[in-house]
This record gives sequence, C-alpha cells and structure tokens, in this order.
Amino acid sequence: MTATQAANGIVGEGRRKRVDLSIPTFVLLGGLLTILVVLPLFWIIFYSFRNDVDGSFTLQNFASLVTDSTLLRAYLLAIGMAFGVGILSCLVATPMAWLVSRTDLPGRKLIRILVTASFVTPPFLGAIAYEILAAPNSGVLNVLARKLLRQDSSFVMFDIYTFSGLVFAIACFTFPYVFTLVSNALDRVPSDLEDASAILGGKALTTVRKVTLPLVLPAMLAGTLIAILQALTMFGSPAILALPAGFHVITTKIWSLFQFPPRLGVAAAAAIPLLVITVMLLRTQKTILGRKGYTVMGGKSGTPRITELGRWKWPSMAFVLFILSLTIFLPYGAILKTAFMQTPGAGLTWENFTLRHWNFVLFEFSATQLALKNTLFLGIVTATAVTAIAVVTAYLVTRRSIRGAGYLGILATAPVAVPGIVLGVGLFLSYANPTFQLYGTLWILLIAFMTIELPAGYQQMSSSFAGIHPELEDAGRIMGASRLRTLWDITAPLLRTSIIAAWCFVFVGTIRELSATILLTTANTKLVSVIIYDLNESGDLGAICVLGIILLAVSFTVVCIANNIPVLGRARNVMPRG
Amino acid sequence: MSFLELAAVEKKYGALTVVKGVDLSVERGQLVCLLGPSGCGKTTTLRLVAGFVDASSGEVRVEGRVVSSAGTTVPPEGRNMSMIFQSYALWPHMTVFQNVAYGLNLRKLPADEVKRRVHEILTVTQLLPLEHRYPGELSGGQQQRVSLARALVVKPEILLLDEPLSNLDANLREEMRFEIRRLHDEFKYTTVYVTHDQSEAMTTADVIVVMNDGYIEQAGSPEDIYARPESEFVARFIGGTNILSGARLSDTALRCNGDFVLDCGSGKLAADGKAIASVRHHDIHVGETRQAEVNCVQGTVARQIYMGSHRDYLVTIPGGETIRAIAPVEVKLPVGDSAWLHFPKEKCRALSR
Repeated sequence: MTATQAANGIVGEGRRKRVDLSIPTFVLLGGLLTILVVLPLFWIIFYSFRNDVDGSFTLQNFASLVTDSTLLRAYLLAIGMAFGVGILSCLVATPMAWLVSRTDLPGRKLIRILVTASFVTPPFLGAIAYEILAAPNSGVLNVLARKLLRQDSSFVMFDIYTFSGLVFAIACFTFPYVFTLVSNALDRVPSDLEDASAILGGKALTTVRKVTLPLVLPAMLAGTLIAILQALTMFGSPAILALPAGFHVITTKIWSLFQFPPRLGVAAAAAIPLLVITVMLLRTQKTILGRKGYTVMGGKSGTPRITELGRWKWPSMAFVLFILSLTIFLPYGAILKTAFMQTPGAGLTWENFTLRHWNFVLFEFSATQLALKNTLFLGIVTATAVTAIAVVTAYLVTRRSIRGAGYLGILATAPVAVPGIVLGVGLFLSYANPTFQLYGTLWILLIAFMTIELPAGYQQMSSSFAGIHPELEDAGRIMGASRLRTLWDITAPLLRTSIIAAWCFVFVGTIRELSATILLTTANTKLVSVIIYDLNESGDLGAICVLGIILLAVSFTVVCIANNIPVLGRARNVMPRG
Repeated sequence: MSFLELAAVEKKYGALTVVKGVDLSVERGQLVCLLGPSGCGKTTTLRLVAGFVDASSGEVRVEGRVVSSAGTTVPPEGRNMSMIFQSYALWPHMTVFQNVAYGLNLRKLPADEVKRRVHEILTVTQLLPLEHRYPGELSGGQQQRVSLARALVVKPEILLLDEPLSNLDANLREEMRFEIRRLHDEFKYTTVYVTHDQSEAMTTADVIVVMNDGYIEQAGSPEDIYARPESEFVARFIGGTNILSGARLSDTALRCNGDFVLDCGSGKLAADGKAIASVRHHDIHVGETRQAEVNCVQGTVARQIYMGSHRDYLVTIPGGETIRAIAPVEVKLPVGDSAWLHFPKEKCRALSR
C-alpha cells in the first residue's frame, strides 16, 4: 500500500477502505484455468515432437501417423463411423422431431421425455445392452430369431460386432442431439411464415419442403455435427464393440498405445489431429447456428401449426415406437432382464429369477464398494468445484468488473474442444511424472473431470448471470450494501436454481465419464464406469447390468431433482414489460 | 458552494470519451434534469455521480467532499444516495415490504422503526395494501412506485433517477411525472434525473441540463431552455423549431437564403461562420398578404393539414428551405398557392452555435 493511495483514502472522507478482492480472484482463477486447460495441451504438443527413447526432438511421431497403416486405418474408420452415425442420427431424428413438434401424433409429450431419457444413458451402457441383444451367438435377439424361424445355432440374424453394428449402436444414443435441436427449432418456426406460404397457394407438403425444412436446416446440420463429434471422440462403445470385431478406431488406438510398451510420443501425435478435427467441427457448427436471422425466430407468432396426420397416424406411430424400442425399450429391457436373470438368454420365468448379480456386485466383488465410493466422491467434489469456479468466472465475465475478464470465459469454454481421450493423454503426460506423481491418485481424475465439465458448468452459469439484470445488483449497492453483501443478499438467491441445476448436470456428466478416465485410472482408483468396462472384458454381463442400473438410477434421480427444483415461483417475470 | 458539484468530469473507455468535461452545480433541494438523445453521456454522468463509474479526470463533490476523482471513488454504498433504475431493479425474490425495508435493515435500524418507516412511505406511495406481494405480481406502475418508495425510505442525501418512466405506457407516464414532482415537493431531496423526453423534463425539473455528445449544451430553467436556446441543437431538441440560416449582418440580424432579412429580438449570432436563427412553428404568422415591413418572405404552400384546433403548414421559401408553421383554422391556403410568412422579431432567436 503506497502513501498516495493511503492519502487518497483520507480524501475520500476517511471512509472504510475497500478490500478489492476482484484482482486476486482474477489472478487466481486465471492461473487455475490456465493450468487446467493449457498445461495438458502444452505437454501433448511437447511429447508429440519428442523421441520416447532418448528425449530428442523428432518428427517421427507425426510421420508414423501416415506411415503406420494401423494408425491411418484407425483414423479413417473413426471418421467413417462418425459420419455414419451423424447421417443415421439425422435421418432418424428429423422425421421424429417433426412428428413430435408439428403433428397430432398421440403421446407427443411422453415421446419427448423418452428421447431425452436416452440422453442420460451412458453410451457404453447402450453398447453393452446391444452386446446382450445382438451378439452373434448368445444375443437375445438372435436366440429369439432362431426359435421363431426354427434355425440351428449357426444362424445369425444380427451381428453387433461389425462396423455397421457399431454405427447403429452409437447412433441409438446420439440421435437425441439432433432431435432436441430440430424439435426446438420447429417449435420456434412462427406459424405465420408457413401461413404466408399457404396463402400464396403452397400445398401442405410444398410448404414443408420450401419453408419449414429450409428454416430448420441449420438445426439439423448443427445437430448432425454434434452427433459426429460425439461418435468421433467416444471411447466406450468402440472399445466394447469394435475390439471384438477386430478393428480399432482412433480413440481405442490411442488407448492401445498406452498399453505396454507405452508409445507416448505417437499417442500424443495421434491425439493432435483429433483435437484439430474437433475444433473445426465446433467452429462449423457455430457458424451454422450463428446466422441468427436465419435460425432464431422471435417466439411471438403464436403456436406452431399442427399438421393432421389422418390415415398416416398409425404408420407414424409405428415408426416412432420402432425407434423408441431400439433406443430405449430393448436396451433397458435387456439390462433389467440381465440384472435379474441367471443368464441373459434364459426365458422370463421365476426359476430363472435371481438376485445373485446384486449380491455379487454389492457384497462379494471387492472392487465395487471402492469404485462406488470413488465415483460418488469424485462426482460430488467435481460438481462442487466446477460449479464454484463457474459461478466466479461467469460473474467476472458477465459483469466485466475487470479488464481481461473475457479471457477467463474463453479459457473456461475451451475444454469443450478437447476430446476426453486427448485430455486423458495430456493429463497423463502432465502429471504422471516424478514431479507430480499424481498417476494412480484420485487427484488426476479430479483434474480431468473438472476440465471436462468446466464448459458445461460455465455456460449454464454465464447464461443465468446474463439473465440477472445488472441493475438489480446496482440497486443493492446504492442502497448501501457492499459488493459482497449484494452478492449474498441479491445475486445468490436469484442464482440458486441455476447453481443447483449446474451442479446436478456436472455430477451426472462426471459419474459416466470413461474416455479420459480409462487412461488415468489404476487398480486403486477404479470408478464404476471403469469397472463396467473391466467386467465386460471378463464377460460378466449380469454384474455390469446391476452397476449400470445403479448408475442410471443415480443419474435419473439427480436429473429429476435438477428439473424439479421449485423455480422462484411467483417471483419470476419481474422485468418490465415492453 | 453548491450541494452537488461536478468539476471538469471526464470519462474515457479506452479511446472513446463518453463524458467530455462536464461542469455542473446543483443546489440543495433542486431537481435537475439531464436531458439529451441516447448516447449523449447523460446516463454515464449519472452513474459517475452514483459511484458506479470511476471518473477518468475531474471531480465530483458533495457538500465540498470529493467523492469521485481520477484516483479514488467512494463506492456507491458509501455515498448515502438512492437511485431509481430504468428497469426498476426490484429484487424478484423479495416482497414489496422486504424490497423497501432492505436499505433500512442495512442501516441497522431497530425492527419496529423499520416497520414504521416502511409503512409510512408505502402509505405515501399508495402501496400499503400490496406490501406482501412479490414484484412479479405488480403492474408496471406499481413496480415503479415500489422503486420510488425503496429509494425514498432511506432519506438519501441525493436521489438519482435513470429514465424512470421509459418503460411505462403513455397515460401512466404522464401521471407518474406529476407524482415524482409531488414527492419531490414533499420531501425536497436533491435530485438528478436523466431522461430523453423533453416534456418529462419540462414538467419535473427546476433546472434542465441539455447534453449532447458528452458535453453540456446549455443549462437553465425550463423557460430559459425553451424560450432562449443558445444553440441549434437545443432549439431543435426542445420543442421543435425552424432553423433559418444565412449571412451575418450584425449581432442579431442575418440575410437569409431567399434574400430576406431576419432581425432577431434576442440572442446573439456567432461572430464568424454561419449565421443561424430559430423560429418556433407556432410563432410564425401565415397569410395571403404581406403583414409587415421586415422579417417577411413569400413562399409556396407545399402541404396543409387540418388538425381541428389549427392548421399545420409546410411552406417552401425561395431559398429552397421548407418552413413549418402553425396557423389558425381560419387561415386556409390551398397547396400550390403563394403564402406570406411573417417572423415576429421578438420571437426570432439568434443562435451562437
């Protein structure tokens, strides 16, 4: 504290000198976010140019991306798979979204809820469900088909351990991305745009083709890109379905480079194109959605118009039910059945009913208790830490109280472009060394989860801060409350709902994470998701399904809590009208 | 020494200067209106006074105490001021009572004293029956009154209002204007009021400060500002007017485009540069014949609208300018006819800027 500042304090009529916490907070947060986001990326780049053996500079790692045919093939297959998933998701989701938003299809609300439910399903659990359903020999559907068609055991109707099987199994759990975006867009297309086409003589179908479809095209593309991105960076499903089928995609390939003898340099080099593709896909998506006048339509134009399906009602219903049974009913049925039956293929009889798997998982299998405890611990700590960081960052960014606060926002959003497996590589390289020795501790997993979940938490909080008019805080200040007091009395109560929601979503995201976890976990730091993956390798499907049900039950409970927090009921809508 | 003083106050955001050296004195108990178009710096000036914005240079003083200067800013909570915001800024999670009581609770008054004072102010603002409602359950006008009550209950040294009526519909706005003036007459708080609506400023203010582009154009009583504008901007912004330009003949006379001499009864032309004068629409006499020796010009009727109480004329004069004039209903000249305009000398105002 310099003399002039002290003197100025006196000029200000000897008022209590403010302790301005914003600068130290800013520095601390900036440092933390930099460590979380920039450090792993730095080490990836560093290692990608480093010779694993003697530590010298080399371009060999990048060269092997092209020369090593297994790497190149893994990339090509991954890209092919991702586009397959994207297209399939779009083809299924768009008609469904239209049926649900714009027709008189019965049970539309319920369908929406069911589709959203497949959001909550961890994709690797879906892949395992399809293993149970459509494995070539033991798959429930194949067994059933043999019975119905009176074929012998060499007959295989479905084989999930194929490229197309993999695409299908992933698409089942990524199509909700397209569905949600498209149906939201359809909800917002004002009916007068369509009425205008109708009044000019456009027939119903022409209107759909010439007006409605072009208007939701950006949403379709954006959703498809997200589905592609999800598929491309996914580890669980390919590891479960592609490895038995005898091929690698890039995520599983990177993981295999970590197996003994580890080839860290090549793994780092292989991670970089994945990072670049992700950034490009996200940029494209942003550009598509960013053309505001085109996609976002003011919601004032009354209810969207509803097409009467007439005689198409039942075929449409059948279509929706078919899709829902593929994505919800069959997988969930398979998981439930396997959890309570002696063998997955056995008939649904009392003799086959057993609680053996539950007993095994909960009491006999030593790893479960630890994994449940670890998962719960990490979920709670991550959710709390991320929410706290997100709140402070969003406050500094949206209120612009400090110059340069915008950079914090960029840092907090950046991990969205870092695929889990890439982050896993980066964190392994950053912290699994003699200096930090974090490998094999829960801390490295905590760092990973915090980084992965930061963007979601930050985006949630910054949009809720944006929803709180700054004048509400100004009013507190001018009435005589200090900055902190205002935060406590006014901002905090208004944010309560969003804080709880953000916490819940981070928690759910954390307990199902596998892509980064798989590289960072050891025997002492097993998580439920990893145990599920391990048990899959040993073929213990019953135990997996029990764990899956536990995971799902926790996720659904938390999501329900998040969706049903009493919103500040009567207190909403205080902004002046007009 | 005035109660509130702004001395050469400037505010810069990077390269952009929003407030460019504002000097202003407000006496105790006065209601001062900062009036100007959007982006003129009036809201920034208000927020400088409130302490939400730090001054880049200059000083803000209250009773001689410096509260803002280039280096230091007493935070808003240390100024014992109150503010009414454009959005009302009522806290949606608190009832009317809680909103109003908040400032008193911060001042650590005993509970029964808080209750007494809140009830007192709610009675004055006719809100007592609504004390347990949430802001979301109130109409716009009621929200506005809660915001007034909340600001007045703490007995501030200075009351600040930031476009408080801009979110109300026209009828309510007129009613609230008189309400604000009534409350001011009752409580006599030193008040700074920001608005872009000139009739709002006219009805409420003791002193109107017209701002433009970060400067003060002119400050004075409503009558000063309306009847004796000093610049073209003020003349146009307040009340609407015709601006006639031409060559300077003396301090008060100019030869206008269209070759006629306009002799002004007040004001002073700029010593050099363009000579301009202002004549208000309803001060011009329109007739078929020439009505005086000087300050007259013949033009052509370009538009004439019957408004019930008067006729609204647009007359094109030889210089090419179009003059708008208000005439009695009896003066009826069809479009295309010639019309004589007479600008009475005492109504012509020479402008220096």
